[in-house]
Amino acid sequence: MLKQYLQEFANKNLQFVLVGKDGKILESEPAFLPIKTGDLITDVHPFFEGIAALEDEDESEFSFYCVHLEVDNQTYITDIQMFRKKEGLLIVIQDLTEHYETYQAVAQARNESIINEELIVLKNAELEERERFKNLFIQNFSHELRNPLMSSMAITQILGDTDLNTEQKQLLDVLRDSNSHLKLLLEDTLSISMIASGKLELKSSLFNLSKLLELLSFTYQTKARAKGLRFTFKADKRVPEMVEGDRLRLFQVLTNLLDNAIKYTHTGSVELRIAFNQQWANKVHLNFAVKDTGPGIPENKRALVFETFSQLASPNAQQGTGLGLALVKGLLSLMESEIKLESTPGTGTVFSFDLGLKVPLRSTLQSAAQHKSDATSRKIGGPGRKYKLLLVEDDERVLTVLFKILMDTKQFYIDVLADGAEVLEAVIQNEYDLILMDINLPNTRGDQLTQIIREFPFKNVKQLPIVGITAYAYEDHMKAYKDAGMNAVLAKPFDSEELLTTLFSFLRK
Amino acid sequence: MQKSKKVVILGHFGVGKTSLIRRFVNDQFSDKYKVTIGVHITKKVVTLPTDDTISLILWDLEGTDALEEIRDAYLLGTHGIIFVFDVSRPSTFQHLNSDLKIVAKKVPERPLLVVGNKKDLVPEEELTQLLENHQISFNYLTSAKTGDTVEDVFMELATLLKSDA
Repeated sequence: MLKQYLQEFANKNLQFVLVGKDGKILESEPAFLPIKTGDLITDVHPFFEGIAALEDEDESEFSFYCVHLEVDNQTYITDIQMFRKKEGLLIVIQDLTEHYETYQAVAQARNESIINEELIVLKNAELEERERFKNLFIQNFSHELRNPLMSSMAITQILGDTDLNTEQKQLLDVLRDSNSHLKLLLEDTLSISMIASGKLELKSSLFNLSKLLELLSFTYQTKARAKGLRFTFKADKRVPEMVEGDRLRLFQVLTNLLDNAIKYTHTGSVELRIAFNQQWANKVHLNFAVKDTGPGIPENKRALVFETFSQLASPNAQQGTGLGLALVKGLLSLMESEIKLESTPGTGTVFSFDLGLKVPLRSTLQSAAQHKSDATSRKIGGPGRKYKLLLVEDDERVLTVLFKILMDTKQFYIDVLADGAEVLEAVIQNEYDLILMDINLPNTRGDQLTQIIREFPFKNVKQLPIVGITAYAYEDHMKAYKDAGMNAVLAKPFDSEELLTTLFSFLRK
Repeated sequence: MQKSKKVVILGHFGVGKTSLIRRFVNDQFSDKYKVTIGVHITKKVVTLPTDDTISLILWDLEGTDALEEIRDAYLLGTHGIIFVFDVSRPSTFQHLNSDLKIVAKKVPERPLLVVGNKKDLVPEEELTQLLENHQISFNYLTSAKTGDTVEDVFMELATLLKSDA
């Protein structure tokens, strides 16, 4: 009895087909597939067209797994076995549709997830490549701007020292403003690309926060007044005078926020407010806020204002590069802070951030004050003595400017060279007090020359102060130049004061 | 009598083997990816420019990134092969040359066409550069989605198989 039931069960999904050597169906049962005796097996499904080819094979049994058979608009997923028999071919078809459908769902999920993961990786690689290209472009572009800007700044300064009539003076003021604006833009651009490529490092030092705030307050009072706006400055009494942090970067953040506020506010006021949050041990937590009565920023634009060049992309772009807020965001994240934005369209905007700054102990404060007075007492320019300076530079424009600045001090005898071999010979033949050398020279590099000079066996040559000039103002470049043996490196554009202060700090009195 | 020729379509999963057949046989396309398991077999009678007809039995095999694992039974009596890769996913063609060697070993001396599918997803210049960088030699670049060059692939193979007979 059981045997019969077993047979029924086993046969449920099985179909046996006997096919003659001419391809005609001899017998077929039990039938879940509508296969009729006398028909050609190749007419049942194209799968069976392959049967003829099996004649050439040596084996007498063949197995095909997971074959989809579409018959009378129904799909069966089957395992098919074929056996050579004396009448022809015995074909055993097993319907495993349910089993294979489960397997299909698993394979579907697996393949989809592999492909998605792959596409995400590709997409990320593409984004990274684009970001890398953008940064490279910015770096090269800002590099190219340095030399012409440097000439423009220096010549403006030189012109300022000549006799000018009132109109010429006004024009020169405009030129000076444009130069400083360009310089700022250049610095911001560079900072952004450096933040993006992880090359910007904060430089923490002790500085006078009260003085910095005073300076900002004075500057923006003037700027606001010029635009017919009110400017208010509020600082909590508990804000410490001296703090430790990156003064330059904090200054950049605040000036960008204030410039932005003044730019977009047409009537009303701009406010800078510093609130005291708390102080723990030697760290003070402050909240900086810049509030304006400008048009406000609609909700859907708020994320966009922090994107690089977002302004440039807008058809209603206003004056400016759109770098400011992206820079603020980047700098604050380096300072482990975050910019917050609250805005009511038609009423105004508040940008704010919390910042933790170290507060030094009393003894450090005193020594810092001492150090500062030392530094300020050192005046630009030395006593009556004249110095012998070797100027290594091939760019005519830069050369003219440097030559003019140095000659105006009446304290230098200057030799000018641009060829590496000539430089090496000259330092042996002459007793220079200092070399001022561009990094990019026609056939060689200033840092390589420095390395050679530092290996000379003559003590007076080997220890000669060397100051580099470069348009590649990245910290890792600057470090490499110093590692090569340069005493200091000046990044273009620099002004005459910066140049002379640096030179005199290495010249023996 | 009309000749029938078995053509197997091989390649990694998700490259568009099923879509190419569907475009060629039914002139249809769906963006929805459905994984093929095992094998689907369709038949299409092709009329050659010489007015000869040939019946292509297209074996759409489950995609795999390990070609060695293809069951030999599926390949019995194969007359021609189309190897498909996806131009938008380098993983499907970065080992193309060794993949083709495996295919040639499993099915020796049979006409084989190499097809880069999904050309609509990659800009033309970028595509040329990409394939050059990977030193990929192919016979056709197709798009099952737009139908671009799909017919050409099957017609060339049909012509090769006809002259083979």
